[in-house]
Amino acid sequence: MHVVYAAVPLLLLTAGCAHVKPDTPVAEPPVVARQPGTPQPAAKPAAPATPKPEPAAAPAPRVRTPAPQTASKAAPLVAKTPATAPALDLNTLKEELRATKAIGFFTKIALKNQVDDLRDQFREYYQGKAKLTMTDLRRSYELLIMKVLSLLQDEDQKLASAIVSSREAIWGLLADPKKFATLQG
Amino acid sequence: MNTLTVALAQSLVVAAFFAVPSFADDEELKKDLTAVIALHGLPCGQVVAVTVQAENDYAASCKDGNKYRVYLNAAGRVVVEKQQ
Repeated sequence: MHVVYAAVPLLLLTAGCAHVKPDTPVAEPPVVARQPGTPQPAAKPAAPATPKPEPAAAPAPRVRTPAPQTASKAAPLVAKTPATAPALDLNTLKEELRATKAIGFFTKIALKNQVDDLRDQFREYYQGKAKLTMTDLRRSYELLIMKVLSLLQDEDQKLASAIVSSREAIWGLLADPKKFATLQG
Repeated sequence: MNTLTVALAQSLVVAAFFAVPSFADDEELKKDLTAVIALHGLPCGQVVAVTVQAENDYAASCKDGNKYRVYLNAAGRVVVEKQQ
């Protein structure tokens, strides 16, 4: 009988421990944190733009030195990313986002609302009705991607990486009026 | 007496197993609502208590003292309303 008394608290403790699993990927977030580094190519267009007017100014060598550093850092990262996270097409990405358990039901709907809002803004832009510029739309798009990534990066790193890899391709679809028109149907 | 004790112990173990998932669901809901409120750009920090008002209609209390009603409207949009 004493054995039963001893077993009950033990079972209760083990039942409690069975719940503690989900916090495992502590070491992994840096991987995703690096991958947002991949958008560095997106920042590149800004970099060449600044060095051109600056050679006339004195600190030109300073501008030149950081540029090769970022390029040399970006190169290995870009090489790593495709191995872990291939870019996904839009439909696969939608399915993956619907299926992921990293984002709750309400959050998914709220995100979908925001995606729909952004699509409406693009539609208005192409119809000439929008007050927003393409730069504003790009900013909204980047913010939305960051929101999605921040929701995914701790619990579904694979999908977060896939989105990082796909973000330029998705932007390509949105920023091209012809491709955007095909999305509507 | 012995049979009663064993039965009590067994029911405690069963209750413990059932208690864990419900706690987990509640935590998931709080996390979900925290994310929704943050997505709407509203201050909250973290949802610490949730009351179910109806289907897809919740009253959330935040760590910073803010209270919100989070619900799904007829148009399929998640709405976050600040409560006093």
